[in-house]
Amino acid sequence: MEEKILKKEDIAKLYEELSKDYNFYAPVKEKGTIAFKKVSDPSEIELTYYNTKVPPKEVIFPQIETLFEYKLKGGDIEIEEPKNLDVKNLIFGIRPCDAYSFKLLENFFGFGEFKDDLFLKRKENTTLIGIACNSPKQSCFCTSVGGHPHKKEDVDVILVDLEDKYLVESISDKGRDLVKKISWLSDASESDVKQAQELSKKAEESIKTKVNVKDIEKLLDPNFEHPIWEEISATCLGCGTCTFLCPTCTCFDVVDENDKYNNRGRRVRIWDTCQFYLYTLHTSGHNPRDSSIERCRNRIMHKFCYYPENYNLLGCVGCGRCVQLCPVNNDIRSIINKINEIEKEEKISIA
Amino acid sequence: MGIETENQNIEKSMREIARNLLNNKQVDVVIGYSEATIPLSSSPIIIDNEKDVDKLIWNNLCYINLAKYLVPMIPNLIDPEKGKLIVGIVSKGCVGRALFHLAVEKQLNLDNVKVIGIPCNGIVNRKRIEREIGEREILEVSVSDNNIVVKGNDFEEKFPYDEYINELCKQCKVRSPPTTPGLMETCLGNCQEVDSVYDDFEDIAEYESKTADEKWEYIKDILGSCTRCYACREACPMCYCNLCFVDQNMPIWFGKTTEINNIIVFHLIRALHLAGRCVACGACSNVCPMGIDLNFITRKLEKIAKERFGFTSGLNPETLPPMMNFKMEDEQEFMIEED
Repeated sequence: MEEKILKKEDIAKLYEELSKDYNFYAPVKEKGTIAFKKVSDPSEIELTYYNTKVPPKEVIFPQIETLFEYKLKGGDIEIEEPKNLDVKNLIFGIRPCDAYSFKLLENFFGFGEFKDDLFLKRKENTTLIGIACNSPKQSCFCTSVGGHPHKKEDVDVILVDLEDKYLVESISDKGRDLVKKISWLSDASESDVKQAQELSKKAEESIKTKVNVKDIEKLLDPNFEHPIWEEISATCLGCGTCTFLCPTCTCFDVVDENDKYNNRGRRVRIWDTCQFYLYTLHTSGHNPRDSSIERCRNRIMHKFCYYPENYNLLGCVGCGRCVQLCPVNNDIRSIINKINEIEKEEKISIA
Repeated sequence: MGIETENQNIEKSMREIARNLLNNKQVDVVIGYSEATIPLSSSPIIIDNEKDVDKLIWNNLCYINLAKYLVPMIPNLIDPEKGKLIVGIVSKGCVGRALFHLAVEKQLNLDNVKVIGIPCNGIVNRKRIEREIGEREILEVSVSDNNIVVKGNDFEEKFPYDEYINELCKQCKVRSPPTTPGLMETCLGNCQEVDSVYDDFEDIAEYESKTADEKWEYIKDILGSCTRCYACREACPMCYCNLCFVDQNMPIWFGKTTEINNIIVFHLIRALHLAGRCVACGACSNVCPMGIDLNFITRKLEKIAKERFGFTSGLNPETLPPMMNFKMEDEQEFMIEED
């Protein structure tokens, strides 16, 4: 049997072993919610969780990241490049949807001629030990957008929760090497594997939300000016919740901070969002996305039209964070459904 | 009468008023609340047809302050030359207060608003319930026998209603939108005449009992998880600046990062801008995706405005708030003393 078994009581042992070589990130309880944090004490690791509010993209694409620092010395400028890029990270307990999002992020940061070395290096140095979802939430819709609660392809090692233990399956070479190093894992039995398969089927069936995204880009493109966008954006407040907490959103702003009293400064990049007025504000004062109509539309167009056009993939993994956390419940599933209605209505009107 | 029945009655009469307003063409649109796609939430809705009236709901999860949708999103409400749009707005007490305060600040012409007054019985503290339920999925929330009943796949928990509404709502003395004689015709449904309110600010007593150092630690801790998504600002009916101080970028006024110093600067300056203006609706806390309870800062400032200037925001559309006004008898011991 290639599959192994990790007993839940041995999580601390696993941590002790792996934290020697890796920054060990795992879900921990923080202020009443769950967050991926660098663990310093294995008792912090929380294994009963659905998912985190802030997606684990934060580990490889942090909300604030210093691109370089500088110091002025007399007439000279001393530049300090970012350090610690070679540090190895391990994300334990990442969900399949979030692991899939890493692939989407890489499409953006590694696309074309200009590659983002900071991101790519960090991504390369990050190992993912995923935990499959046995009980997806009502707001989850990964199966509609190319995912699955037990999807394995995007992690290095996948664990399936079998109550008191995990079934361990290595997926990538990186994962195989890692599992090989943990010599004390016992072998899985055939019934363990079978149980995992049943759980996978059950999890898939429990996702009741189906969103029809088939050829959605072909429907979105010609309806750029459709009045439906007014309806979709009518109650949007214009905050950044949906995008900041989205595992696939990549937009950032670059800011220079000069500390002239100490003769130094830094250039930082921070998460930005297309939902803010400032995002597309031109120096001239003109703003091509002047109102929430254009801004709401852009978010949907980017994920369901531009992304498929550029990378042949949807820009949404169906994690449901925006569904759950939008202050006015502007549900992305309802938005897609409304867009699908356009076609039907038009067919009716033609007939 | 239990809260459940009270809500049903409110909902029924609210729909009736909305239906009449739309039928008789007294309003162009009605802004209200509708059912959300997820539990423990609600969704604002703008309707322009009586067919949609039954989509309007009222329950203890209607946490958004709908006055937000009048300013500045419908700017022709301010400028009658651009053509009038008459809006019916479902108003609990704090929405009514926001409308009055926006009128005082000349952001809103009350002639263009029809208030559908509702006697609110408090909004559920959804973030607290979420915290206490923890990592179990909430599938259904209802109010029954003065309990908030939260159901999931394999659990059902009851939270005493009086205990689990927002701290602000526990102190609230203006449950229905306020009216002033002469402006009564703008309010339909349940409204109340209020001259002044007595408020003991019990909800911030614990915060106030802290030492300065403890307060600082508390603020740092509570704001630590802020992502600067600005949901608090965007949900606040009083945050209507065209360009927020924190968005000034030619040049940048304040740091843009999520380092704690920058987070604190944003929240404390926003709060200062709300001194004598906050209508205690609690929308900022209720919308925060990270579940940060922001109310205590603005409530503290409300208390200062009350103690020093005897002012409560949003009770009257003509009384100027302390920051727009000057009186000889205003306390000014914080200024340099005369010789």
